Amino acid sequence: MALIELERLSLTFRVRQERTIRLKDFILKRMFLPSRNPYMEVRALQDIDLRIEQGDRVGILGHNGAGKSTILKVLAGIYKPTSGRRLVEGRISSLFDIALGFEVEANGWENIAYRSYLQGETPASVRAKKHSIAEFSELGDFLNMPVRYYSAGMMVRLAFSIATAIEPEILLVDEVLSVGDLSFQNKARERMREMMAKAHLMVVVSHDLDSLPQVCNRAVWLDHGRVKMMGSCAEVIAAYRSSVQGHAAAA
Amino acid sequence: MHAYLGSIWNCRFFWLSLVKTDLRSRYRGSVLGIGWSLLHPIAMTTILCVVFGVVFGINVREYAPYLFVGMTFWGYFTSVLVQGCGCFFQGESYIRQFPAPMAIYPLRTALGSGFHFLIGLLLAVLLSLGTGPKDAHISRLFQLLALPSLVPTFVLLFLLGWSVAILCGLLNVRFRDTRHLAEIGLQGLFYMLPIMIPPEQLARRGRLSLVFRCNPLTPFFDLLREPICYGHAPSLMTYTFAATVVLVLCTTAIFALQREERQLIFHL
Repeated sequence: MALIELERLSLTFRVRQERTIRLKDFILKRMFLPSRNPYMEVRALQDIDLRIEQGDRVGILGHNGAGKSTILKVLAGIYKPTSGRRLVEGRISSLFDIALGFEVEANGWENIAYRSYLQGETPASVRAKKHSIAEFSELGDFLNMPVRYYSAGMMVRLAFSIATAIEPEILLVDEVLSVGDLSFQNKARERMREMMAKAHLMVVVSHDLDSLPQVCNRAVWLDHGRVKMMGSCAEVIAAYRSSVQGHAAAA
Repeated sequence: MHAYLGSIWNCRFFWLSLVKTDLRSRYRGSVLGIGWSLLHPIAMTTILCVVFGVVFGINVREYAPYLFVGMTFWGYFTSVLVQGCGCFFQGESYIRQFPAPMAIYPLRTALGSGFHFLIGLLLAVLLSLGTGPKDAHISRLFQLLALPSLVPTFVLLFLLGWSVAILCGLLNVRFRDTRHLAEIGLQGLFYMLPIMIPPEQLARRGRLSLVFRCNPLTPFFDLLREPICYGHAPSLMTYTFAATVVLVLCTTAIFALQREERQLIFHL
């Protein structure tokens, strides 16, 4: 049973002003003293309470810098929270930056293997799934080429095919699908619908408010790291839209 | 701790495939292939044998395997240290995308360097079998029989490499010039280790041999040279010294990793 539960979760980045410091500077300029190299605190997420259950498809909206990608990374387990509780049950598959997680010198087939291993597959299961992944991506002969020569759209196709081939219980998607062409977007939406039919759980970040209702049933509006509104997709989108247009009219 | 090691084992296909990619991409399109990684120890050994043999009159037949083993180990140590500095940057795109135990990135470095080390060592064994053992009454058979004593040595060397890579990787993320400082330090360290000095000369240089004996890396040279060059297993004392060094490094690496792992991604 897939489940996501965040309880009073906060994540604060403490970034020093001079981030890449050298040992010589550290000692000579006494940069370990806070006065010399002050911390900047960024409260990325504050007191998030969220419960997502099996069958939910949640969209996350908000302004740039609201914490949407951050919350996805916390859900994936990449960022550890500063305080609060995170409970995620189920096999996770995530699609963040498309260019990341590829071994650019290797070709498409090899990358299918690497990314699958990272998702917990074994060589035997990869061999079985390799061809269906290749078929879904529709990349054909391009799979024999090193990934460094792929376009962004091709990388998304490959990444999405691999991520969804493992039949994850939780799928986390961060704004990557917009890069694919129309036919791929339709295919991706169809596959995500199939996955939903198997009663899984999905969290999607998107700025495309028109397509969001087609995939999601619930939505969360993040504002400056806090949950501003949570509810059915249509409600939240309408509130978000009117708020943004209201600001635009006032300004 | 068990859970952590278990999680490393769980993604074993991933880091094994990374090691394979590293090895393949290093030699893709090159003429000599794996030979390149041996070029440095072979060249150094040849040059020094000529210099010491011709100029100082050292017995090259004994000196060559002695030097070659030393150079091979030095190559391994240098490569885990320097490449270990960059291991988390090398894996940055995976760290940002997939949650995985951080120790696998230094592991990838240690295994890659270990592979080259084993090839070099194989060559050293062949070389020493070719030149014959130091003591004339020890036959080549005894030389071969001493080789299984290398097995615990390999375990110790693997743990050494992994710990060094972890520590250097973590340091380099915090202080970006660690790699440069390490390279400079290594230049000096080279002369504080019994790599180049022929063993006969050592007896006459009391202070230098004292430096060598205090250096924590020296037991590893003995662990490798005793079976390969001299044809007998190393003493228990040597194993103990080496094991102590490895234990200290491993413990430090584990503590450092536990402390830094959660925050690592924020410092990349």
